[in-house]
Amino acid sequence: MRVLVYGCGQLASGVVRELTNDATEIIVLGHELSALERLSSYENVSGVFLDEPVMHDYLIEAGIANADAFLALSTSDHDNLLAAQIAHQMFGVRSVVCHVENPQLQVIYATLDESQDMNVISYSVGILQDIRYAMNEGQG
Amino acid sequence: MFVVIVGCSEVGFFLSRALAATGHEVAVIEREPHRYQILTENMGMVALLGDGADADVLRRAGVERADAVVVLTGVDSTNLVVCQLVKFLSQRPRTVTMVKDPKNEPVFERMGIDVVVNLIHLALVALEAGVPGQPLRHLMPFPEQGMELVSVSVPAGADIVGKRLDEVQPQLPPNSFVSLIVKRGHASMPAGQTIVEADDEVVAVTSIGEEQLLYDILTGV
Repeated sequence: MRVLVYGCGQLASGVVRELTNDATEIIVLGHELSALERLSSYENVSGVFLDEPVMHDYLIEAGIANADAFLALSTSDHDNLLAAQIAHQMFGVRSVVCHVENPQLQVIYATLDESQDMNVISYSVGILQDIRYAMNEGQG
Repeated sequence: MFVVIVGCSEVGFFLSRALAATGHEVAVIEREPHRYQILTENMGMVALLGDGADADVLRRAGVERADAVVVLTGVDSTNLVVCQLVKFLSQRPRTVTMVKDPKNEPVFERMGIDVVVNLIHLALVALEAGVPGQPLRHLMPFPEQGMELVSVSVPAGADIVGKRLDEVQPQLPPNSFVSLIVKRGHASMPAGQTIVEADDEVVAVTSIGEEQLLYDILTGV
Protein backbone atom coordinates (compact mmCIF):
# COMPACT_ATOMS: atom_id res chain seq x y z
CA MET A 1 0.00 0.00 0.00
CA ARG A 2 1.40 3.37 -1.06
CA VAL A 3 -0.24 6.43 0.48
CA LEU A 4 0.39 10.08 -0.42
CA VAL A 5 -0.49 12.64 2.24
CA TYR A 6 -0.77 16.31 1.30
CA GLY A 7 -0.15 18.54 4.32
CA CYS A 8 1.92 18.29 7.47
CA GLY A 9 -0.10 20.23 10.04
CA GLN A 10 -1.76 18.78 13.12
CA LEU A 11 -4.38 16.72 11.33
CA ALA A 12 -2.01 15.35 8.67
CA SER A 13 0.73 14.58 11.21
CA GLY A 14 -1.72 12.76 13.47
CA VAL A 15 -3.03 10.69 10.57
CA VAL A 16 0.49 9.85 9.33
CA ARG A 17 1.49 8.59 12.78
CA GLU A 18 -1.62 6.40 12.90
CA LEU A 19 -1.03 5.06 9.37
CA THR A 20 2.56 3.99 10.08
CA ASN A 21 1.03 0.97 11.79
CA ASP A 22 -0.71 -0.41 8.71
CA ALA A 23 0.43 1.33 5.50
CA THR A 24 3.58 0.02 3.88
CA GLU A 25 4.76 3.31 2.43
CA ILE A 26 3.75 6.90 3.22
CA ILE A 27 4.94 9.97 1.31
CA VAL A 28 4.11 13.33 2.91
CA LEU A 29 4.04 16.53 0.80
CA GLY A 30 4.14 19.78 2.74
CA HIS A 31 5.35 23.35 3.03
CA GLU A 32 6.91 23.09 6.51
CA LEU A 33 10.41 21.66 6.47
CA SER A 34 10.65 21.04 10.23
CA ALA A 35 7.35 19.14 10.35
CA LEU A 36 8.38 17.08 7.30
CA GLU A 37 11.70 16.17 8.91
CA ARG A 38 9.93 15.12 12.10
CA LEU A 39 7.52 12.87 10.18
CA SER A 40 10.29 11.41 8.00
CA SER A 41 11.91 9.99 11.13
CA TYR A 42 9.14 7.39 11.27
CA GLU A 43 9.76 4.11 9.54
CA ASN A 44 8.49 3.93 5.94
CA VAL A 45 7.65 7.65 5.91
CA SER A 46 9.37 10.06 3.51
CA GLY A 47 8.79 13.73 2.86
CA VAL A 48 8.61 15.93 -0.25
CA PHE A 49 9.16 19.62 0.44
CA LEU A 50 6.93 21.92 -1.62
CA ASP A 51 8.86 25.12 -2.28
CA GLU A 52 7.79 26.01 -5.81
CA PRO A 53 4.27 26.48 -7.17
CA VAL A 54 4.42 23.40 -9.42
CA MET A 55 2.17 20.94 -7.64
CA HIS A 56 1.95 18.49 -10.55
CA ASP A 57 5.72 18.00 -10.71
CA TYR A 58 5.89 17.32 -6.98
CA LEU A 59 3.04 14.82 -7.20
CA ILE A 60 4.88 12.94 -9.94
CA GLU A 61 8.10 13.07 -7.92
CA ALA A 62 6.18 11.65 -4.94
CA GLY A 63 5.07 8.73 -7.14
CA ILE A 64 1.38 9.52 -7.54
CA ALA A 65 1.31 7.38 -10.69
CA ASN A 66 1.30 4.24 -8.56
CA ALA A 67 -0.30 5.51 -5.36
CA ASP A 68 -3.14 3.52 -3.83
CA ALA A 69 -4.53 6.44 -1.85
CA PHE A 70 -4.27 10.22 -1.75
CA LEU A 71 -5.18 12.11 1.41
CA ALA A 72 -5.53 15.92 1.13
CA LEU A 73 -5.19 17.03 4.74
CA SER A 74 -3.48 20.44 4.61
CA THR A 75 -4.83 23.40 6.56
CA SER A 76 -6.21 25.07 3.40
CA ASP A 77 -9.62 23.87 2.22
CA HIS A 78 -9.08 25.24 -1.27
CA ASP A 79 -5.61 23.74 -1.69
CA ASN A 80 -6.99 20.40 -0.52
CA LEU A 81 -9.85 20.52 -3.02
CA LEU A 82 -7.51 21.36 -5.91
CA ALA A 83 -4.92 18.73 -4.98
CA ALA A 84 -7.58 16.06 -4.43
CA GLN A 85 -9.22 16.78 -7.78
CA ILE A 86 -5.83 16.63 -9.53
CA ALA A 87 -5.15 13.25 -7.89
CA HIS A 88 -8.61 11.98 -8.75
CA GLN A 89 -9.14 13.43 -12.24
CA MET A 90 -5.65 13.69 -13.73
CA PHE A 91 -3.84 10.78 -12.08
CA GLY A 92 -6.82 8.48 -11.46
CA VAL A 93 -5.89 7.60 -7.89
CA ARG A 94 -8.41 5.00 -6.76
CA SER A 95 -8.99 6.23 -3.24
CA VAL A 96 -9.01 9.99 -2.64
CA VAL A 97 -9.91 11.63 0.66
CA CYS A 98 -10.14 15.41 0.99
CA HIS A 99 -10.59 17.23 4.27
CA VAL A 100 -12.31 20.61 4.45
CA GLU A 101 -12.78 22.77 7.53
CA ASN A 102 -15.85 24.50 6.11
CA PRO A 103 -18.93 22.24 6.42
CA GLN A 104 -20.66 24.14 3.58
CA LEU A 105 -17.94 22.97 1.17
CA GLN A 106 -18.31 19.39 2.39
CA VAL A 107 -22.03 19.38 1.57
CA ILE A 108 -21.56 21.07 -1.83
CA TYR A 109 -18.73 18.81 -3.02
CA ALA A 110 -20.60 15.72 -1.91
CA THR A 111 -23.40 16.90 -4.21
CA LEU A 112 -21.07 17.87 -7.09
CA ASP A 113 -19.29 14.52 -7.17
CA GLU A 114 -22.25 12.23 -7.65
CA SER A 115 -20.08 9.17 -8.10
CA GLN A 116 -18.62 9.80 -4.62
CA ASP A 117 -15.24 8.60 -5.87
CA MET A 118 -13.65 11.52 -4.08
CA ASN A 119 -14.51 11.44 -0.41
CA VAL A 120 -14.82 14.97 0.93
CA ILE A 121 -14.83 14.84 4.71
CA SER A 122 -15.16 17.54 7.36
CA TYR A 123 -14.73 17.03 11.05
CA SER A 124 -16.59 20.29 11.62
CA VAL A 125 -19.77 18.48 10.53
CA GLY A 126 -19.21 16.12 13.45
CA ILE A 127 -18.47 19.04 15.77
CA LEU A 128 -21.78 20.69 14.83
CA GLN A 129 -23.60 17.49 15.70
CA ASP A 130 -21.70 17.23 18.99
CA ILE A 131 -22.54 20.85 19.85
CA ARG A 132 -26.24 20.32 19.12
CA TYR A 133 -26.23 17.15 21.16
CA ALA A 134 -24.43 18.86 24.07
CA MET A 135 -26.87 21.78 24.02
CA ASN A 136 -29.86 19.44 24.09
CA GLU A 137 -28.24 17.53 26.95
CA GLY A 138 -27.86 20.83 28.85
CA GLN A 139 -31.55 21.54 28.48
CA GLY A 140 -32.14 18.22 30.17
CA MET B 1 -25.01 41.28 -20.00
CA PHE B 2 -24.78 40.88 -16.25
CA VAL B 3 -21.29 39.98 -15.08
CA VAL B 4 -20.16 39.17 -11.53
CA ILE B 5 -16.46 39.65 -10.83
CA VAL B 6 -14.97 37.87 -7.84
CA GLY B 7 -11.80 39.54 -6.57
CA CYS B 8 -11.19 43.11 -7.58
CA SER B 9 -7.46 43.75 -7.32
CA GLU B 10 -5.43 44.69 -10.43
CA VAL B 11 -6.94 42.66 -13.28
CA GLY B 12 -10.42 42.52 -11.77
CA PHE B 13 -10.47 46.26 -11.26
CA PHE B 14 -9.59 47.17 -14.84
CA LEU B 15 -11.86 44.48 -16.24
CA SER B 16 -14.86 45.65 -14.22
CA ARG B 17 -14.26 49.23 -15.31
CA ALA B 18 -13.92 48.25 -18.96
CA LEU B 19 -17.10 46.14 -18.84
CA ALA B 20 -19.09 48.87 -17.09
CA ALA B 21 -17.88 51.41 -19.66
CA THR B 22 -19.23 49.29 -22.51
CA GLY B 23 -22.69 49.11 -21.00
CA HIS B 24 -22.58 45.84 -19.06
CA GLU B 25 -24.12 45.47 -15.66
CA VAL B 26 -21.26 44.62 -13.31
CA ALA B 27 -21.28 43.49 -9.68
CA VAL B 28 -18.05 42.96 -7.81
CA ILE B 29 -17.29 40.78 -4.80
CA GLU B 30 -14.31 41.99 -2.78
CA ARG B 31 -13.31 40.72 0.62
CA GLU B 32 -10.73 43.38 1.50
CA PRO B 33 -12.64 46.16 3.40
CA HIS B 34 -10.27 48.95 2.37
CA ARG B 35 -10.42 48.07 -1.32
CA TYR B 36 -14.17 47.60 -1.08
CA GLN B 37 -14.48 51.12 0.30
CA ILE B 38 -12.43 52.62 -2.56
CA LEU B 39 -14.45 50.70 -5.16
CA THR B 40 -17.82 51.84 -3.84
CA GLU B 41 -17.09 55.36 -2.59
CA ASN B 42 -14.47 56.61 -5.05
CA MET B 43 -15.33 54.57 -8.11
CA GLY B 44 -19.08 54.27 -7.62
CA MET B 45 -19.09 50.55 -8.38
CA VAL B 46 -21.72 48.06 -7.36
CA ALA B 47 -19.77 45.96 -4.90
CA LEU B 48 -20.38 43.43 -2.18
CA LEU B 49 -18.04 43.05 0.78
CA GLY B 50 -17.48 39.36 1.41
CA ASP B 51 -15.70 36.11 0.64
CA GLY B 52 -16.41 34.90 -2.89
CA ALA B 53 -15.67 31.35 -1.79
CA ASP B 54 -18.89 31.41 0.25
CA ALA B 55 -22.01 30.19 -1.54
CA ASP B 56 -24.23 32.65 0.37
CA VAL B 57 -22.12 35.63 -0.73
CA LEU B 58 -22.20 34.44 -4.36
CA ARG B 59 -25.98 34.06 -4.17
CA ARG B 60 -26.39 37.56 -2.71
CA ALA B 61 -24.27 38.99 -5.55
CA GLY B 62 -26.77 37.44 -7.95
CA VAL B 63 -24.64 34.80 -9.69
CA GLU B 64 -27.76 32.74 -10.40
CA ARG B 65 -29.00 35.33 -12.88
CA ALA B 66 -25.50 36.30 -14.16
CA ASP B 67 -24.45 35.70 -17.76
CA ALA B 68 -20.82 35.30 -16.72
CA VAL B 69 -18.85 35.07 -13.50
CA VAL B 70 -15.18 36.06 -13.75
CA VAL B 71 -13.09 34.73 -10.87
CA LEU B 72 -9.82 36.57 -10.22
CA THR B 73 -8.81 35.86 -6.63
CA GLY B 74 -5.14 35.43 -7.57
CA VAL B 75 -4.93 31.93 -6.07
CA ASP B 76 -5.45 28.93 -8.39
CA SER B 77 -7.09 26.69 -5.81
CA THR B 78 -9.50 29.40 -4.65
CA ASN B 79 -10.36 30.25 -8.26
CA LEU B 80 -11.31 26.61 -8.87
CA VAL B 81 -13.43 26.37 -5.72
CA VAL B 82 -15.31 29.62 -6.49
CA CYS B 83 -16.03 28.46 -10.08
CA GLN B 84 -17.30 25.13 -8.79
CA LEU B 85 -19.52 26.86 -6.21
CA VAL B 86 -20.99 28.98 -9.02
CA LYS B 87 -21.65 25.82 -11.08
CA PHE B 88 -23.30 24.29 -8.03
CA LEU B 89 -25.60 27.31 -7.59
CA SER B 90 -26.53 27.67 -11.26
CA GLN B 91 -25.65 26.26 -14.67
CA ARG B 92 -26.56 29.59 -16.26
CA PRO B 93 -23.40 31.72 -16.04
CA ARG B 94 -20.25 31.04 -18.00
CA THR B 95 -17.40 30.63 -15.55
CA VAL B 96 -14.20 32.42 -16.53
CA THR B 97 -10.99 32.34 -14.53
CA MET B 98 -7.22 32.57 -14.62
CA VAL B 99 -4.51 30.08 -13.60
CA LYS B 100 -0.94 30.79 -12.60
CA ASP B 101 0.36 27.22 -12.77
CA PRO B 102 0.02 26.26 -16.47
CA LYS B 103 -0.47 22.60 -15.51
CA ASN B 104 -3.68 23.52 -13.70
CA GLU B 105 -5.29 24.56 -16.99
CA PRO B 106 -6.31 21.02 -18.07
CA VAL B 107 -7.55 20.31 -14.52
CA PHE B 108 -9.87 23.31 -14.61
CA GLU B 109 -11.10 22.37 -18.08
CA ARG B 110 -11.77 18.81 -16.95
CA MET B 111 -13.80 20.20 -14.03
CA GLY B 112 -16.09 22.02 -16.45
CA ILE B 113 -14.83 25.59 -16.05
CA ASP B 114 -15.84 27.33 -19.29
CA VAL B 115 -12.89 29.63 -19.97
CA VAL B 116 -9.45 29.22 -18.39
CA VAL B 117 -6.92 31.96 -19.07
CA ASN B 118 -3.31 30.92 -18.62
CA LEU B 119 -1.70 34.06 -17.26
CA ILE B 120 1.89 32.83 -17.33
CA HIS B 121 1.55 31.63 -20.91
CA LEU B 122 0.19 34.98 -22.10
CA ALA B 123 2.97 36.81 -20.32
CA LEU B 124 5.63 34.42 -21.68
CA VAL B 125 4.51 34.93 -25.27
CA ALA B 126 4.59 38.70 -24.93
CA LEU B 127 7.92 38.71 -23.09
CA GLU B 128 9.55 36.29 -25.56
CA ALA B 129 8.42 38.45 -28.45
CA GLY B 130 10.12 41.40 -26.80
CA VAL B 131 13.51 39.71 -26.52
CA PRO B 132 15.46 40.34 -29.74
CA GLY B 133 16.84 37.31 -31.56
CA GLN B 134 14.50 34.94 -29.72
CA PRO B 135 14.26 32.15 -32.31
CA LEU B 136 11.48 30.05 -30.71
CA ARG B 137 8.12 31.51 -29.78
CA HIS B 138 5.19 29.74 -28.13
CA LEU B 139 2.08 30.61 -30.10
CA MET B 140 -0.64 28.49 -28.57
CA PRO B 141 -0.85 25.57 -26.14
CA PHE B 142 -3.20 22.59 -26.49
CA PRO B 143 -2.87 21.48 -22.86
CA GLU B 144 -5.40 18.66 -23.01
CA GLN B 145 -3.39 16.96 -25.79
CA GLY B 146 0.01 17.96 -24.41
CA MET B 147 0.73 19.69 -27.74
CA GLU B 148 1.60 23.24 -28.67
CA LEU B 149 2.03 25.48 -31.67
CA VAL B 150 5.46 27.12 -31.90
CA SER B 151 7.23 29.37 -34.34
CA VAL B 152 10.95 29.06 -35.06
CA SER B 153 12.95 31.45 -37.21
CA VAL B 154 15.65 29.69 -39.17
CA PRO B 155 19.04 31.34 -38.64
CA ALA B 156 21.43 31.90 -41.52
CA GLY B 157 23.88 29.01 -41.70
CA ALA B 158 21.54 26.48 -40.12
CA ASP B 159 21.96 22.92 -41.37
CA ILE B 160 18.49 22.82 -42.90
CA VAL B 161 18.93 25.97 -45.00
CA GLY B 162 18.70 25.01 -48.68
CA LYS B 163 17.05 21.65 -47.94
CA ARG B 164 13.63 20.60 -49.21
CA LEU B 165 10.88 20.17 -46.60
CA ASP B 166 10.45 16.48 -47.48
CA GLU B 167 14.10 16.05 -46.48
CA VAL B 168 13.60 17.96 -43.21
CA GLN B 169 10.31 16.43 -42.01
CA PRO B 170 11.71 12.87 -41.51
CA GLN B 171 14.41 14.28 -39.18
CA LEU B 172 11.83 15.90 -36.91
CA PRO B 173 10.59 14.23 -33.70
CA PRO B 174 7.57 11.92 -34.25
CA ASN B 175 4.89 14.35 -32.99
CA SER B 176 6.27 17.46 -34.69
CA PHE B 177 4.90 18.72 -38.00
CA VAL B 178 5.65 21.81 -40.03
CA SER B 179 2.29 23.57 -40.44
CA LEU B 180 3.16 26.82 -42.15
CA ILE B 181 6.17 28.58 -43.61
CA VAL B 182 6.42 32.37 -43.64
CA LYS B 183 8.92 33.75 -46.16
CA ARG B 184 9.57 37.50 -46.16
CA GLY B 185 6.19 38.19 -44.59
CA HIS B 186 4.26 35.88 -46.94
CA ALA B 187 2.70 32.72 -45.53
CA SER B 188 2.57 29.59 -47.64
CA MET B 189 1.30 26.08 -47.13
CA PRO B 190 4.34 23.86 -46.74
CA ALA B 191 4.84 21.41 -49.58
CA GLY B 192 7.47 18.67 -49.96
CA GLN B 193 9.45 20.65 -52.52
CA THR B 194 9.47 23.91 -50.52
CA ILE B 195 13.07 24.96 -49.89
CA VAL B 196 13.95 26.21 -46.42
CA GLU B 197 15.79 29.53 -46.50
CA ALA B 198 17.48 31.64 -43.85
CA ASP B 199 15.10 33.90 -41.89
CA ASP B 200 12.08 31.74 -42.72
CA GLU B 201 9.52 31.50 -39.93
CA VAL B 202 8.61 27.84 -39.48
CA VAL B 203 5.33 27.35 -37.64
CA ALA B 204 5.09 23.82 -36.27
CA VAL B 205 2.87 21.68 -34.08
CA THR B 206 4.90 19.80 -31.50
CA SER B 207 4.37 17.86 -28.31
CA ILE B 208 5.60 19.67 -25.24
CA GLY B 209 8.43 17.19 -24.57
CA GLU B 210 9.77 17.45 -28.14
CA GLU B 211 10.06 21.22 -28.24
CA GLN B 212 13.80 21.34 -27.56
CA LEU B 213 14.66 18.64 -30.09
CA LEU B 214 12.54 20.34 -32.76
CA TYR B 215 14.26 23.63 -32.03
CA ASP B 216 17.71 22.04 -32.24
CA ILE B 217 16.97 20.46 -35.62
CA LEU B 218 15.49 23.63 -37.15
CA THR B 219 18.30 25.88 -35.95
CA GLY B 220 21.29 23.52 -35.61
CA VAL B 221 24.45 24.32 -37.57
